[in-house]
Amino acid sequence: MAITEAHAGRCYPPNDPYQVSAAKIAEFATALGDDNPRYRGDSPIAPPTFAVVIAAQAWNQLFNDPELELSLDRIVHGDQRLSFSRPFRAGDVVIATVTIDKVRVRAGSELVWATVDMSGREGDQICATQTTFYHAREALA
Amino acid sequence: MKATVAEAVEVGTQLPSLTVRFTRQRLVRYAGAATDFNPIHYSEHFAKQAGLPGVIAHGMLTMGTALRMVTNWVGDPSRVTSYSARFPRPVVIPDDADGVEVEFTGSVSGIEGSLVTVSIEARCGGQKVLGAARAEVDLGVRVPHRDHES
Repeated sequence: MAITEAHAGRCYPPNDPYQVSAAKIAEFATALGDDNPRYRGDSPIAPPTFAVVIAAQAWNQLFNDPELELSLDRIVHGDQRLSFSRPFRAGDVVIATVTIDKVRVRAGSELVWATVDMSGREGDQICATQTTFYHAREALA
Repeated sequence: MKATVAEAVEVGTQLPSLTVRFTRQRLVRYAGAATDFNPIHYSEHFAKQAGLPGVIAHGMLTMGTALRMVTNWVGDPSRVTSYSARFPRPVVIPDDADGVEVEFTGSVSGIEGSLVTVSIEARCGGQKVLGAARAEVDLGVRVPHRDHES
């Protein structure tokens, strides 16, 4: 079977803890062409959209769930919302948990809404992100 | 934070704009940094299979680059409390040395206490490539009202 509306509400187990490193922050900032000094040095914070580096680990649980029959190479990002309690910092150990909020099945495609909650080791919320994915059921070419 | 921001900000304040060139090389670099290895961002074959006209930029590359305009403006990126955008049409990246140019503009669209909302536009080839893009920043100090000052 494939993903259906009935999968709304499915919550996956927390991902393995993600340790934020200064090197990864610098690499990400460089990829954005961003030379802000806060992203470099000994105790940097991360660019806000670094959140998706961690969220991506959680999204992989959806893409790798055989029951949903989602194929990463037919997924297109529809929208993204991020809200922050604080920035990610080098040294943070982040626990990400993904939940499927809503699914809409159309002819030949699906829309999937998912939330990833990201918190520190003590359970303190750092960031929450909502995403809409568009998934083409079959390869088109 | 730059002290001048809170002092000078009002609804309609324009942020310094930003123009950035996206090439295939930048996509590869972003894919590695973001660990987003969806092949639609490097392979024509997979992009077409997904119904796309060609290799497209990561939506988050466009969105993350757009936010530079806001964080450059406030100085301290930790001031960003929320950020959202839609990806209404793909940014198609040709397989050449030039790539495409994406232009980012932003203006203050709301002020509530110390919270300032910036509305962002991103255009590629005249087409909007971000929809309803908004970043909220907390300037940490209440922004004075100027609307009805005589």
